[in-house]
Amino acid sequence: MAVRFIDPKNTAAYKDYLNADPEFKIAARYMTKDVCIEVGNTKCIVKFRDGIVTQIKSENAFADPWDFAIRASEDAWEKFLMPIPPRFYDGIFGGMVRGNFRLEGDTISAFSHFWAVTRMLDIFRELQNK
Amino acid sequence: MVKADQIVCKYIHLNIQGIEYRVFYEEAGTGIPIIAQHSGGGDGLEWHFMLNNPEITSRYRIIAPCLPYHGYSLPPESEEWWKQEYRLKKSFFMEFELALSHALGLDRPVYIGCYVGGNLGLDLAFDYPDEFRAVIGVGAALSSGQPTLDTFYHPNVSNHYRMVNSFYFCAPLTPEKYRREIAWCCMQCAAPTTKGDLYYYFYEHDLRGKAQFIDTSKCAVYLLTGDYDPTISVEDTLIMANQIEGSKFTEMKGLSHSSMAENPPVFTKYLMPILDEIANQPTKK
Amino acid sequence: MAIIEPIEGKYIYITIQGIEYRIYCEQSGSGIPLICQHSAGSNVLEWRHMLIDPEITSKYHVIAADLPFHGRSIPPEGISWWKQEYKLTKSFFMDFQVELSRALGLQRPVYIGTANGGFLALNLALNHPDDFRAVIGVEAAENAGPATMDIFYHPQISNDFKRGTAMGFSAPANPEKYRRAISWVAMLSAPPVTKGDMNYYFIEHDMTGKCPQIDTTKCAVYLLTGEYDPTSTVEDTKELAKKIKGSKFYEMKGMSHSGMAENPELFKKYLMPILNEIANQTKTV
Repeated sequence: MAVRFIDPKNTAAYKDYLNADPEFKIAARYMTKDVCIEVGNTKCIVKFRDGIVTQIKSENAFADPWDFAIRASEDAWEKFLMPIPPRFYDGIFGGMVRGNFRLEGDTISAFSHFWAVTRMLDIFRELQNK
Repeated sequence: MVKADQIVCKYIHLNIQGIEYRVFYEEAGTGIPIIAQHSGGGDGLEWHFMLNNPEITSRYRIIAPCLPYHGYSLPPESEEWWKQEYRLKKSFFMEFELALSHALGLDRPVYIGCYVGGNLGLDLAFDYPDEFRAVIGVGAALSSGQPTLDTFYHPNVSNHYRMVNSFYFCAPLTPEKYRREIAWCCMQCAAPTTKGDLYYYFYEHDLRGKAQFIDTSKCAVYLLTGDYDPTISVEDTLIMANQIEGSKFTEMKGLSHSSMAENPPVFTKYLMPILDEIANQPTKK
Repeated sequence: MAIIEPIEGKYIYITIQGIEYRIYCEQSGSGIPLICQHSAGSNVLEWRHMLIDPEITSKYHVIAADLPFHGRSIPPEGISWWKQEYKLTKSFFMDFQVELSRALGLQRPVYIGTANGGFLALNLALNHPDDFRAVIGVEAAENAGPATMDIFYHPQISNDFKRGTAMGFSAPANPEKYRRAISWVAMLSAPPVTKGDMNYYFIEHDMTGKCPQIDTTKCAVYLLTGEYDPTSTVEDTKELAKKIKGSKFYEMKGMSHSGMAENPELFKKYLMPILNEIANQTKTV
């Protein structure tokens, strides 16, 4: 199934969904970062401003700056987004260890905000399967 | 036979405000029961000097619990606790002490607490004077203002911040081994707990206009504050002591914010006369 | 009547490599001694389900201790530990198990360890086959590195980071309450500890070329690895098992890196046949 969070038809609604999630609200406190999620060749930027997602941009984002990027093939993301993902595609850190996901850029920031990032991706999984 | 402390640690299930909690506590001694409550973001480890002091444990049964979300008392399994930011509420805090006391069948225990725990002692004396024969508040005051607490729980701030704070919250002549131990123990806590506990301390504890109604004939009030403490000064505690008729205040020379843990022998010097006095009181029924 | 669990925790004194440590140790049950070693940056809470399970405690004397610098085993008084970065070495990790066993007077206990503890199982079987009747390595492998884990100990990264990674080290279908509890416990450790423990996991542990020397007639070797474990995979452990003659390997479907804590009921399905086999072996000795 196509990855839904990069579909431009969904990005506005997904942004609202993130901001309404109680755990995400705690996890994302103080976060002001531009997070790039690359799905195959598609670059999607999630913009955080002081803990709130202000935009998810998946069209024409080729020149948008980002602080850190999580990159994987479309196939890897599809597996990650399954209700029960297969092994080595069920978590980003484990996925990095296995070479299925790559983290690039300001990785210290990524780890400072790791909880927010992982919660965001878990929400994308919920929405993928809704 | 391996050398061991006399402390015994157990897990008890308490129902507080309708939710079951698995609560870790450690105890030592026999005699008059004392509940020893740790400070904000803290752990029962703070009270080990007391639990290992035969001069105290020969006459007192000391029970030092870890509040839920602290130390070995995990968040409750039945709740989706991760969906809210941890926050210590006064009602919960008080009911925790009562639930523990009742579950262990304690007869009007003494309560001793430090800072967050110290302030709670005064709240207990105000709200539940029949449940405790005496409260000992270390570093307690009427209220402490309402500062921002954000830096205590921030993704870009590691637990080292707590370590450094604790290290420098000891008086200048504190023996290094105690400073280092406090600093280590303070680094060990879940990220949200210090800020969550300070919510009670700064935003919910307020005895202004109420302290004078504490009845020390039912529940004796003892107050101890270190002369070096920058957060609760001796003067702050004296203001409260003067409003509580029959309360007894002692300034602890050479101690700061980490009081009992920063120099147990010095702290014990101030504690023993209080414990002696409590022990010599005729038992009320 | 409040439930008090059958676990008893004590602080015992053990000398390891010439230094006295005050170790927190929980015990329950009676029968064959079973030492349970927690994973990196963790503590005895990992084994809480084991310690209260009558199916296990009716046949096994279960012992779980906090490694020094973890949980309630605070740093030793005898060294200026603050002058060096905490690092777990292989020799210390092994000596800890041996000295713990000796101090408690255990007769060739069974050893079970997860992740870091799982790796250690192999070193114990190799170096101390006369001291343990069997080792159960959960998530064990020949080696995992080398790799550096500086991000686990960084001033700009709070303990919440460990919360995020821990969730990814338990399998997705396991009960959320257990996965969340693991993430909470992972947050409890002092900042240097998880990274320091990984010194053993990623740098010092290497069984390359040594596996054939393990004599399973002296010390039986059981290996359990979770299907989802990304750092020590099922394939890694299968390869390892082939190199240890007489070892037994079982893949745990639906489990990941976190052993019993992530799903006690499911873990037991794999663990009980092993414990029963060991118990039956013991009867014939």
